[in-house]
Amino acid sequence: MKFAGTRRRVPIAMGVAVVATVVALVSTTTSREGVALSVAFDLAVACGLILSLPSFKLSHPVVSRAALTLLGLDVAIFITFFLNSSTNFNLATGAAMSIVLLGLSFLTGASGQISLGNGAFMGVGAFAMAIWANHHTTTPIVATLLIAVVCGALVGLLLGLPATRLRGPYLAGMTLAFAVAFTFILSTFSSWTGGDSGLQLPTAAIAPRWLDGFFHAGTPPLTTTTLYLTDVAIIVAGVAFFFMANLFASRTGRSMRLIRDNDVAAELVGVSLPRTRVVAFIVSSAYAALGGALLTLIDNSVSPPTYSFALSVTILSLIVIGGIGTISGALIGGVIYAFSTNVISWITTQTGLNPQGNLASQLNGIIFGGLLILTMLFAPFGITGAARSLWHRLRARSPG
Amino acid sequence: MDPFLTSRIVTDVLGGLTNGVTYGLVALSLVLIWRSTGILNFAQGAMPMFATYVGFALLSYHFGYWPCVVACVIAALLIGGLTERLLVRRLYGKPEINPIVVMVGFLIVLEAVAAAIWSSTPRSLPSPFSSIHWQLAGKPFALSPFIVYEFATALVVMAAVAVLFRFTNLGLQLRASALAPEVSRLLGVRVGRLLTLGWMLSTVVGVITTILVSANFFSGLTPTVMDGIFAYGFIAAAIGGLESPVGAIVAGVLLGVVNQFVTDYVNQNAVIIIALAILIVSLMIRPSGVFTKSALRRV
Amino acid sequence: MITIEGLTVSFGAVQALRNVSLVAETGKITAVLGANGAGKTTLLRTISGLKEPKTGTIRLDDQSLVHKRTEDIARLGIGHVPEGRGVIGEFTVEENLRLGAMMAKVNLSRGLDEQYELFPVLGERRKQHAAKLSGGERQMLAMARALIAKPSVLLLDEPSLGLAPLVTAQLMHTIQSLCETSDLTVILVEQNATSALRIAHHAVVLHVGKVVANDTASLVAADENLRQYYLGLVE
Ligand SMILES: Nc1ncnc2c1ncn2[C@@H]1O[C@H](COP(=O)(O)OP(=O)(O)OP(=O)(O)O)[C@@H](O)[C@H]1O
Ligand SMILES: [Mg+2]
Repeated sequence: MKFAGTRRRVPIAMGVAVVATVVALVSTTTSREGVALSVAFDLAVACGLILSLPSFKLSHPVVSRAALTLLGLDVAIFITFFLNSSTNFNLATGAAMSIVLLGLSFLTGASGQISLGNGAFMGVGAFAMAIWANHHTTTPIVATLLIAVVCGALVGLLLGLPATRLRGPYLAGMTLAFAVAFTFILSTFSSWTGGDSGLQLPTAAIAPRWLDGFFHAGTPPLTTTTLYLTDVAIIVAGVAFFFMANLFASRTGRSMRLIRDNDVAAELVGVSLPRTRVVAFIVSSAYAALGGALLTLIDNSVSPPTYSFALSVTILSLIVIGGIGTISGALIGGVIYAFSTNVISWITTQTGLNPQGNLASQLNGIIFGGLLILTMLFAPFGITGAARSLWHRLRARSPG
Repeated sequence: MDPFLTSRIVTDVLGGLTNGVTYGLVALSLVLIWRSTGILNFAQGAMPMFATYVGFALLSYHFGYWPCVVACVIAALLIGGLTERLLVRRLYGKPEINPIVVMVGFLIVLEAVAAAIWSSTPRSLPSPFSSIHWQLAGKPFALSPFIVYEFATALVVMAAVAVLFRFTNLGLQLRASALAPEVSRLLGVRVGRLLTLGWMLSTVVGVITTILVSANFFSGLTPTVMDGIFAYGFIAAAIGGLESPVGAIVAGVLLGVVNQFVTDYVNQNAVIIIALAILIVSLMIRPSGVFTKSALRRV
Repeated sequence: MITIEGLTVSFGAVQALRNVSLVAETGKITAVLGANGAGKTTLLRTISGLKEPKTGTIRLDDQSLVHKRTEDIARLGIGHVPEGRGVIGEFTVEENLRLGAMMAKVNLSRGLDEQYELFPVLGERRKQHAAKLSGGERQMLAMARALIAKPSVLLLDEPSLGLAPLVTAQLMHTIQSLCETSDLTVILVEQNATSALRIAHHAVVLHVGKVVANDTASLVAADENLRQYYLGLVE
């Protein structure tokens, strides 16, 4: 039965896709938006097709994850066309942040440890990106991003090597000390980091020629020529999520979860505890650095105060609220980050607080800190966990 | 007068000790909580900070320094006790990251609320003793009446903690509850109350530290006054091995001295970097802590 | 006197005790016997309030113990020497004893003297850390720590565990004479059925959480079926 159904579904969906492509191309060949629309539509159909095959999901999990990623990217990029410049900017920072969150989520999900210094690791990536770009103006952006990631991984190795050998809060404490120290590190090396004023990228990351005409009506912070960076950020995030989903499901990912749940048992089956922990920490640091480097790219500049301890706490809050240890939690946290500034200023105006007053300026800390506590106490796996248990309860109630 | 006493080295050592005792006290309070509840209290700086604001609110009612100090201690007892009862108690037996996350959240909330009520502008606290350094043969000597008062207070606090834990029945019960809660309960020890008491005590140690720090560092009292000191306190406690009160104090004091030399001979910014480096190296060489005898630690 | 009626205790799906009823009379030794996993430890832990029963009652004389906190039950005069002894290794012998004496308002130095008289080894090692005692010495320390509070009921969980036969015999003798000289009620959980039955007045045999025998010790000791199937005592 199942296979018969599957076999019928393939030609049907293919037919739909072909018809859709033809119709879209014929009707809109004159405009670039038309082409984009039809490509987006086709992609969506193709991916939806792959995903709708349950047997495929089991036999080719990587392909099915790739399809899911493509579908998500497709929809997200398509939506960016219709949003104004400032919402696009918010989305871009949200995408960059979701990469950072994904790294932290992986660290906790895989090893049961936590880092309080991911803001500083973001800073490592952000400054590595800016410094390299200033000294080697010809390096392609992708290569510079990768260099930033490597820097994050190396610093992660340095801090993780001693701390992950020990059980207990050593990693948390040490990363906190690193987060506090980071500002001082930046000013110690001010000849490289530009001191208090930070660094500008030497050339604005302008869109390549072939993208001309896609993006109009750009106003700062993203202009017509830099609006495409939102899509760049979203695509990088998509790639990061794809890799992470595979890592979560891989042998390494499984042995890591074993460690988190029962480290004694894990050692008995031959998983090396310290090595696995340190690898998880390096991955999380590298992801944080990637997110930071992307932010530099989006902002076209980097300034030291951004990477204070407060940022690390924000990161922690976002992933805890989204659902720590989960992939979707990182996505949710990224979306919350994208709009948190707007929401908090909305609250300020709605409650009639003096925006220059003490309370309004502390609202961010009070809300995020409070949510951090409440989530951990009452829904330790955040929105993702709450949604999952709701879903299971609903399924248990409905027959079949 | 002996010029040695006003030499650069002696000045640095004394200056380092001045900071070091506060690191040692913070490290001590961290170790107390860690040993009794297995929680690294990331709000160990923020809770006393809040209590200090509350206590010194009496200043506006024309009370003097000492009544304010008493009020601070009372506020610390309350904050420590309530925190354990309402917040920490829900975290026993939970995965390791839960208490870390909750206490970080608490740190943020306390700092934000303090800044919302009392603003982030530093307030200067009154001081019962002069902070002006003594002169020896026309040269400045690195001690002032206030610093002597600070040393004396720190010593009294440390001695009081030692006496409490070593020689009193209460201390015996506190140690027993930490080492073997179930057996202690079978012997009639009210473990729950003692855990609350442990948090109250460590917050009092913290509030005394905060009062000293806010008056001494010319920075005054701010909501984030304890952030840096907490970081150094943690580094000291970790170097000492988290399990050992004596190790924590010794490591804290030494760290203060090292910091002072780094400030003097390198620069102010390098201090926390060097401290972090010391922590990394010491954990690599002796993961169980420099001052713990046994190499065995719960790994 | 401890009276237990209809006690059922479970760990999730596992029923560790099913409808257990027994009486431990004042001044008598009641042995609780049974194989591994029979539920003996669970019985003692439930009496001490470390585990909540699902149903059933536990009374000390006329006072219900169910839903009371462990520390309050201990303060009613129920001493519990847990499985594996539970001496605090980081404490010295004397500190362990001080801890035991704390809740009962007894004179500490008199209590210490009494225990050192009863267990002379402990007197010789009073400043030594308990972790450095031998197994038998630790068992004595655990007993002394419970006795120093002058309990009216003593719950002993496998005191002979890991002890040489000679030491076991001494220990049983100590327990017996304690009972004879005071009105101490003893519930003695043992794997070592022979030596327990030798000193007990009454015996209860548990099998997978159920009471399969509840009689005087001599009758239980004489029952061939019990000896063979539940106590593993074959001639
Ligand atoms: N904490 C626990 N969680 C789950 N099951 C438990 C727990 N403690 C005991 N049990 C189960 O309850 C049953 C009775 O255990 P108990 O420890 O009371 O046995 P016992 O008679 O003392 O055995 P032994 O002679 O080996 O000490 C066993 O099946 C055991 O697996
Ligand atoms: Mg048992």
